[in-house]
Amino acid sequence: MATRLTTPCSSSSTNFSPSSSFNNEAKLFTRFISMPRKYGLSTWVSHIHSKTHARKHFLLNSSNEHPLNAFSLQDGLAGNPLAKERIEPPGKERPSIPMSEAEKEESTLSITVVGASGDLANKKIFPALFALFYEDCLPENFTVFGFARTKLTDEELRNMISKTLTCRIDKRENCDDKMDQFLKRCFYQAGQYNSEESFLELDKKLKEKEAGKLSNRLFYLSIPPNIFVDVVRCASHRASSANGWTRVIVEKPFGRDSESSGELTRCLKQYLTEDQIFRIDHYLGKELVENLSVLRFSNLVFEPLWSRNYIRNVQLIFSEDFGTEGRGGYFDNYGIIRDIMQNHLLQILALFAMETPVSLEAEDIRNEKVKVLRSMKPLKLEDVIVGQYKGHGKGGKSYPAYTDDPTVPKDSLTPTFAAAALFINNARWDGIPFLMKAGKALHVKRAEIRVQFRHVPGNLYKRNFGTDLDKATNELVLRVQPDEAIYLKINNKVPGLGMRLDRSDLNLLYRARYPKEIPDAYERLLLDAIEGERRLFIRSDELDAAWALFTPLLRELEEKKIFPELYPYGSRGPVGAHYLAAKHNVRWGDLSGEIYE
Amino acid sequence: MAALSSIHCRSYSYSPFLFSSSSSSINGQQFQRINFSSSGISKRFLPAKLFSQSRKNSYHGVVLMQDVAMPVNPVENEASFKKVKDGLLSSITSAEELKETAGFDVNKDESTVIITVVGASGDLAKKKIFPALFALYYEDCLPKHFTVFGYARSKMTDAELRNMVSKTLTCRIDKRENCGEKMDQFLKRCFYDSGQYDSEENFTQLDKKLKEHEGGRLSNRLFYLSIPPNIFIDAVRCASMSASSANGWTRVIVEKPFGRDSESSAALTKALKQYLEEDQIFRIDHYLGKELVENLSVLRFSNLIFEPLWSRQYIRNVQLIFSEDFGTEGRGGYFDHYGIIRDIMQNHLLQILALFAMETPVSLDAEDIRNEKVKVLRSMRPIRLEDVVIGQYKSHIKGGITYPAYTDDKTVPKDSLTPTFAAAALFIDNARWDGVPFLMKAGKALHSKRAEIRVQFRHVPGNLYNRNFGTDLDRATNELVIRVQPDEAIYLKINNKVPGLGMRLDCSNLNLHYAARYSKEIPDAYERLLLDAIEGERRLFIRSDELDAAWSLFTPVLKELEEKKIIPEYYPYGSRGPVGAHYLAARYNVKWGDLGAEQ
Repeated sequence: MATRLTTPCSSSSTNFSPSSSFNNEAKLFTRFISMPRKYGLSTWVSHIHSKTHARKHFLLNSSNEHPLNAFSLQDGLAGNPLAKERIEPPGKERPSIPMSEAEKEESTLSITVVGASGDLANKKIFPALFALFYEDCLPENFTVFGFARTKLTDEELRNMISKTLTCRIDKRENCDDKMDQFLKRCFYQAGQYNSEESFLELDKKLKEKEAGKLSNRLFYLSIPPNIFVDVVRCASHRASSANGWTRVIVEKPFGRDSESSGELTRCLKQYLTEDQIFRIDHYLGKELVENLSVLRFSNLVFEPLWSRNYIRNVQLIFSEDFGTEGRGGYFDNYGIIRDIMQNHLLQILALFAMETPVSLEAEDIRNEKVKVLRSMKPLKLEDVIVGQYKGHGKGGKSYPAYTDDPTVPKDSLTPTFAAAALFINNARWDGIPFLMKAGKALHVKRAEIRVQFRHVPGNLYKRNFGTDLDKATNELVLRVQPDEAIYLKINNKVPGLGMRLDRSDLNLLYRARYPKEIPDAYERLLLDAIEGERRLFIRSDELDAAWALFTPLLRELEEKKIFPELYPYGSRGPVGAHYLAAKHNVRWGDLSGEIYE
Repeated sequence: MAALSSIHCRSYSYSPFLFSSSSSSINGQQFQRINFSSSGISKRFLPAKLFSQSRKNSYHGVVLMQDVAMPVNPVENEASFKKVKDGLLSSITSAEELKETAGFDVNKDESTVIITVVGASGDLAKKKIFPALFALYYEDCLPKHFTVFGYARSKMTDAELRNMVSKTLTCRIDKRENCGEKMDQFLKRCFYDSGQYDSEENFTQLDKKLKEHEGGRLSNRLFYLSIPPNIFIDAVRCASMSASSANGWTRVIVEKPFGRDSESSAALTKALKQYLEEDQIFRIDHYLGKELVENLSVLRFSNLIFEPLWSRQYIRNVQLIFSEDFGTEGRGGYFDHYGIIRDIMQNHLLQILALFAMETPVSLDAEDIRNEKVKVLRSMRPIRLEDVVIGQYKSHIKGGITYPAYTDDKTVPKDSLTPTFAAAALFIDNARWDGVPFLMKAGKALHSKRAEIRVQFRHVPGNLYNRNFGTDLDRATNELVIRVQPDEAIYLKINNKVPGLGMRLDCSNLNLHYAARYSKEIPDAYERLLLDAIEGERRLFIRSDELDAAWSLFTPVLKELEEKKIIPEYYPYGSRGPVGAHYLAARYNVKWGDLGAEQ
């Protein structure tokens, strides 16, 4: 399987999935037999499909590259010959590549960035696409389309994009060449987000580029949530692929609570099947979050420790060292709990705490994650503390309060900081506090997972540790950003004639070991979406379960108008977080005196 | 607590309780009072008590060497300690601590320690013992009244000895400006006496000199026997008969070899015990004084994450590796008589193995640890001939330089079959280790200088990522490496994802490199061991029953090797050793961790 090892781009499940070739065959088979069923009845096809989907879905266990929905949007004519064509080469099927060689040359991929003039598109999406192109991870025939309301020519779009592209990966001499080549593949289409006509126009342009070849289309919705559904409706009705797949990447926020999220999902599902929806959580694309499962499941030394028997508490910490900086309009409507905790931190928690999945396939992993979420108690108000940063003058410089932000109401109670204690009521984790902490305008920028182990029972050396044995326990830290690192705090003897113990780190500093730059989370996630790898995207039931945990709390906070604890800009956050931790007999690992990092 | 300020010197049984040092002075006073008033022990007795670290049997040694006039009442003393302990249950730690420190405070000025290096003109004395003593002095670890005596057959004046000693002293620890001064002060405490090793008269003479220096104070005497084994007994006899302390303790440090096999070792022990109690005998194994060997127990017992893994359930094999990058270099006379198995394996590596594999001791007291070590040794099968590979280095020409064969050494017989390399597989037949191979490897004239412990873990059962590991799952297991020398380090090999878009796994290290974390130089093993001997800490010294058990594992195979005249496998000087070691490992499904391609 030489190709598996050499392709740097293939995402994980394609890389290993032991049954992928079987899956492909199975998929081809279902594809083939399902063709006649929707012959000519394209309007209700999607309907039928979404009904039959669930069953097939489980039948196939995990439908990887070519979701069933791919043909729900196909038109009947193209179906049959294609199906035959695809059935012929199963022997040559390359499990690691979404399409067989023969197909690859004939299929096209169009990535349409809806909201192309926005910030995220410019800062993240286009650069990530270029990086993928640069690394030869995109299919041969790919096109990038920008779609937004602004009138722009292709040239203007290219000009705009080119400013944010960098050849960061490793400075090869052909970077400019590559950039030119990439920009030549970028096009622009202006239109209204809720106009089916505009999307019909887009469809026309896409078809031009596809030139009759198999068409796969990926829509990246980089737009405000209130127009999600409109765009999805228009895109699915007017710009779906006729003979390949159509997928839609959606960014957070996925609603504000259980109801609005449920409503959004319901609306999306009117036009898309579950397999077409790629809810992105870019934290799941971070290198060390990806590595979390590898650490757990490919090292004998960690798995035996991964339970309430040995782990005392787990801390999920996210902090930013800047505030909303004049752009708090969106944030104020959501707050830090919705913005960071309910999605990023909770997702990491689920990955951390899940049982060993049957395989590394997306559905197996997501099944396990949902189980974790469903085993958790909804958060109680007393297990949460909220904070908001206030103005602070330091070294002659004055830092603004959250409410100084002109886009934020003066009397806003929106938390910019929150800490919470969560519990998983299952056999593995019963009673273990999972502490989350997220905040803006804190003293450092940091995202990390800290696992504090229990103290050594009957410790022979306990006299060396002072009165609090828990202060000297082992701690495993996965630092997601900045400076990716894994380290394990251990007790060892201070070299010398005495017997003084010390906590040292067993270290793996990524920068030292892997000098190559680590790809941005968006690159990984875009590639996964292109390849149909859903492992890092959030399934509807996961999302529901996540909201179910946070919605009662969020409501109570808002109904009772809980006043956030104010903390100075650039500080370590409200002290309430310490008291919350103390209540559960935990000490924050990132704020203890001895920590120098 | 002035005595505690020099805390860095104390070995741990004295001051493990660093945290409470600041808060316990009141307790200390109390304890002192209780101690003296309730038991009525004389102050003179205290040091012996102190040094014995509350082990009952340690009195006997002292008592034996003591004058009968000494007011000894160990039973009452013990009882009073008990009483005190009971009374102070809540603060028992500080009480124990202060027991030691209080004693020091009171008796410090009145007791003396004299360290007599028997064989003072020898190599070990010059290279290791005197420098270690100076380093201890330099770090203020020696008692106030200490004297160093050199004793040997050569005629020398004190000044000549000082001159000789001064050449090897360095201020290595950290270059403080007063090093020269300290050196002078140290040298002023060094004296010399010449005499025969088997002459009681000469030792009586020595005793006289020692008494002069003690000036009537409580006298504690440590003899370091840095002499060939054939005169051990004579020296011990003379020292104990004629130069024992009259009112303090007398201890004797003995260096390897402790015999050649079970019989000779037992004979040696028996002879020593004619003159010394077990508690007076300090059999030194300087490997046990190495920083990372000391740290082994700390790692195991003070970290939750290691102990659950420490058994046959998770550990696939353990490797104990020792290699030197030089041969006998013209000094093979002694070595040829012993060979690498006796020189390195039966003592250093086996001791480390026992420490590694022992059950959790009841406490960190010397006897508790040594009890556990003996249990390990007694659970082991004697080594079989087929589980041993031996080798001998042959000459090798590299880059125009000719490296000699072992038998080119002029002090070695031309037809010597003495192994300069050996590898062996050992097994511990207890519940924790049944079936786990412990592989040892030791050799001279190899490609690197190294001493390390490698712990290879089992593969992950039902590994989700096993597609990434190729066919041999065991190749990608975790491995814990404790590198004893050079460049002390601990690292744990883990599998992680190579950063990037794919899913390639890689083996990285979670590292603790001592040089990076601890800038201060690590003390030499001899410093630690000398200090322990002075303080009566026996944890790192080998007890007679340990020694017996160790010999009984190796004696049959040594005998068989010699009787059958097994010819060693030859390996070139500077190579990685005979390939036979790989086949031995392969038989137990082990791969040497130090010779993997990635290293």
